[in-house]
Amino acid sequence: MLQRSEDREMFQPNSEKSYGLMEVVDGTSVMVEKAPEDTVFSWPHLVMLEIAWAMVVIILLHVISTYFNAPLEEIADASLTPNPAKAPWYFLGLQEMVSWTSPFWGGILIPGILVVLLLLVPFVDRRLVGVGHWFARERWVANTLWTVFAVGTITVILIGLYCRGPNWHFYWPWQDWPKTH
Amino acid sequence: MLPRERNSRRAIATLLQIPRNIWCALFREGYPGYPDTDLKRSTLITGNVFLHLHPVKIRRHALKLHYTFCLGGTAFLLFLILTLTGVMLMFYYHPSVPKAYYDMEDLEHIVNFGLLLRNLHRWSAHGMVAIVFLHMCRVFYTGSYKPPREMNWVVGVGLLLLTLMLSFTGYLLPWDQLAFWAITVGTNIANAAPLVGSKMRFLLLGGNIVGPNALLRFYVLHCVVLPLLIGVLMAIHFWKVRKDGGISGPL
Ligand code: HEM
Repeated sequence: MLQRSEDREMFQPNSEKSYGLMEVVDGTSVMVEKAPEDTVFSWPHLVMLEIAWAMVVIILLHVISTYFNAPLEEIADASLTPNPAKAPWYFLGLQEMVSWTSPFWGGILIPGILVVLLLLVPFVDRRLVGVGHWFARERWVANTLWTVFAVGTITVILIGLYCRGPNWHFYWPWQDWPKTH
Repeated sequence: MLPRERNSRRAIATLLQIPRNIWCALFREGYPGYPDTDLKRSTLITGNVFLHLHPVKIRRHALKLHYTFCLGGTAFLLFLILTLTGVMLMFYYHPSVPKAYYDMEDLEHIVNFGLLLRNLHRWSAHGMVAIVFLHMCRVFYTGSYKPPREMNWVVGVGLLLLTLMLSFTGYLLPWDQLAFWAITVGTNIANAAPLVGSKMRFLLLGGNIVGPNALLRFYVLHCVVLPLLIGVLMAIHFWKVRKDGGISGPL
């Protein structure tokens, strides 16, 4: 039987009994061998939160877009190669690896292996421990490996963005680049 | 109590009630049709095609902001914003050389709010790449990819790659120096793949150099093919979140 909160019955205590029915608990499924459900309705709890958050994000984007302009350089010119020519920031990791090794190793093989490893994650790490907690202590190996991956990804991107000058030489952000033609 | 005192109290109470009354009148709380029973709260979700993405009830744990940080939802929101601003940009944009670049200049200097429109699209796109990455980190650090959610992680990797490809194809469209050389660098890497590399690059660019054909191909990929693909994958992703028992939580 489904019990909705609006047709919940109220039971008057009977003065002749030493026991009584206290409450019929809400539930949308049979509660055999289950703890009391710890659920709330999506409306309004979740939907309102989503709407509020969407408004914050939209306002934030408008503020950013008011003060910072998308870049637009000179019209494309195949005969005028900028030095250095940089990939979009999310591919700077690739470009970085290519500069250390070769286009095949850094641009195809290593990224390909990384994607395959990424796909294999849930099929390798299947032990049901630490689900639902941030940085569960039992999962320290997995968490450490992932942190190395994430920090590495971000580091190569930052190097590519701020520390690569003409001919892909390394310069600190505060160092001047030598003059090129 | 003196009648005058009672009146002034009532006046203050009325004043204090004003925000609440406005709120209720706006959102129809307490009015007929307001979902104030469990049955109505349920049918509001199941009877609306957009809200129907949600389950009717969710675990209290899933609501906690410090668990998901709304990252997946924010990625989806940014995708919606990108679709909206992207369609509006399409009204002003010709995927041809050199018109594409001049359209960018027009957006900046002539079209009303054109610069804002372009900025919104640009920053949302960068934001989406970053947010999707952070979402993936959240899923990892909370162990949310473990059984039964393995397949949704795999779908997620597909979403990550599609997000990167969308961003990359969009990068060429302004047809400025930044766009041209970034895509030249990027597609040169594809060249290095054994056997198929140069063929793939030729297919992607519609030639051997980044030229008008490449611009048209990137445009079609960016505005039609990839958004459709990512839309399908997102539908599967959200559906699987629910089939796998909702957002993960303590076991
Ligand atoms: C366009 C990109 C993506 C969108 C729009 C998206 C959206 C979402 C949303 C809305 C949720 C619900 C929970 C939450 O907000 O955190 C979710 C959960 C999930 N996502 Fe994504 N996601 C994307 C990319 C990814 C990626 C890159 C991965 C991993 C490689 C991933 C793996 C998962 C998994 C495993 C869940 C279930 C988590 C749980 O049950 O706690 N998703 N996603």
